[in-house]
Amino acid sequence: MGVTILQQFPMLENRTGPQTIDFLTKRVVALGAIQCGQFLVDCDTYMSTPSLGPQRTVHVMHNSEQPASVFSLLESSGKTIPLVADGLFDLLMLKMTPIYTKKQTKVESKGPRFELADFCIKLGSVTISQNFKGVLVEVEYRPCVVPATCWDLLREFLQGFLGSCVPSMPPQYLQPRMNEIYQPMDTIQQYLEHFSMYRKASGVLQFN
Amino acid sequence: MEPLHTALGAIKVLRCSVGQVFSCLANGVRADHGEEGRDAKFLSELDELLSSVTQHLRDVEQAVNSLSQPPGPFTLGNTSFLSQECTQERQALYSQLVLSYKWTDKIHEFSNLSVALLSQNSLKRSYTNSSTAKRRRAPTSSHNVPPQNVDTVISSIDRQFPDMNISVSRPFGANAVLQVTLSRVLQAVVALKGLMIEWVVVKGYGETLDLWSESRHKVFRKITENSHAAMLHFSSPTMPELAVRSFMTWLHSFNTLFSDPCKRCGNHLHSALPPTWRDFRSLEPFHEECKH
Ligand SMILES: [Zn+2]
Repeated sequence: MGVTILQQFPMLENRTGPQTIDFLTKRVVALGAIQCGQFLVDCDTYMSTPSLGPQRTVHVMHNSEQPASVFSLLESSGKTIPLVADGLFDLLMLKMTPIYTKKQTKVESKGPRFELADFCIKLGSVTISQNFKGVLVEVEYRPCVVPATCWDLLREFLQGFLGSCVPSMPPQYLQPRMNEIYQPMDTIQQYLEHFSMYRKASGVLQFN
Repeated sequence: MEPLHTALGAIKVLRCSVGQVFSCLANGVRADHGEEGRDAKFLSELDELLSSVTQHLRDVEQAVNSLSQPPGPFTLGNTSFLSQECTQERQALYSQLVLSYKWTDKIHEFSNLSVALLSQNSLKRSYTNSSTAKRRRAPTSSHNVPPQNVDTVISSIDRQFPDMNISVSRPFGANAVLQVTLSRVLQAVVALKGLMIEWVVVKGYGETLDLWSESRHKVFRKITENSHAAMLHFSSPTMPELAVRSFMTWLHSFNTLFSDPCKRCGNHLHSALPPTWRDFRSLEPFHEECKH
């Protein structure tokens, strides 16, 4: 598992989602990347029933890169508790319907997946309940496991095909974890951070 | 010899063109002759082929005419007795004999060339003492060092670099295999023979380490390649300890593999790879394409 950075690509007025994906596809292919299938990251959100005291939120997420895992993040009184489980966790959530009710807003990011030397590039279209919201680009540098050592290298790579929208600072979520070994859960947390931003922007869901 | 070769060549060409005539005849009129006037096209093609046969036949005759009668019987040595062989399965022996003669001839030629090349090459790894018997002292052998000495050298190198961890194991008897972990950047296996580095494999942090399989990351496959060049460069039969120490210092400089930009172009990436080369003297980072 290498270090992964997520980056929103700004939408232009006169360009649709598929056109933006197309535009970026052409750029990465011009760099020499080869398309290797598709990817999907999804997120379902559950809320605890109000009668059980202070309300809690559970996000259940899947990543096609780790197909045998289910990631769950429990938000409770300002803290986020991450958990990695196997596929049975989905069935467990079904059994919990009296306590946790599912919100109707499923968030997904999906699209083509590319490989270029040791880089893996994913161009994701983000949808909330099937409505297109924006383009989220994921870049993974697989040989390196510590974000601090390869951040400059990753930023150079991202700027190479995304241009000036790449900030000079690492993503908010990674900043306190730059010297730790990168885990699949870190990618999931970054996705959740971005999904929450897309949700807030549309005003569909309010978070505490 | 030369006219004989041309004659044989001419016969080959003739055979070829005759073969073409027959294959053309066997195929008959083909689709690519088209609809209109296909018979005429077929005939003209055949005509062309036949005239080339005539031409080649003339070549053969010419070549044969220029041959001279051999001055006397060929001296075939013992092989001439092969013609008296009457068992069926041994009659093919002659051609095999010619083949193996050609092979030994080639081997002779190649080994002469390689001797000339190797004697100029400075990367000599075996210690050949050409000095006279008088000056000879106990030859320092790099591949026959007692295990305790190897352990002492390795542990002193291990102490020299706090962020590089070296562990010694001896899975194949007396010779040591080193497992090197360089901070959280890379791992390497180094197989030693005495104090001579025999083999190096570099892999990523967290990959399973063994002597035979290569890394799944392109960047570490490149560094493995470069470390083979380094082990040859630093190899020194007379000062084996220094060779190992220099190699380890060179390997240690990769702890900034992902963070140091290239010394020449100033970028981190070139062809989507970080600077995978370290200068042997200055240890400065360069891209593969920027090192010259
Ligand atoms: Zn360079």
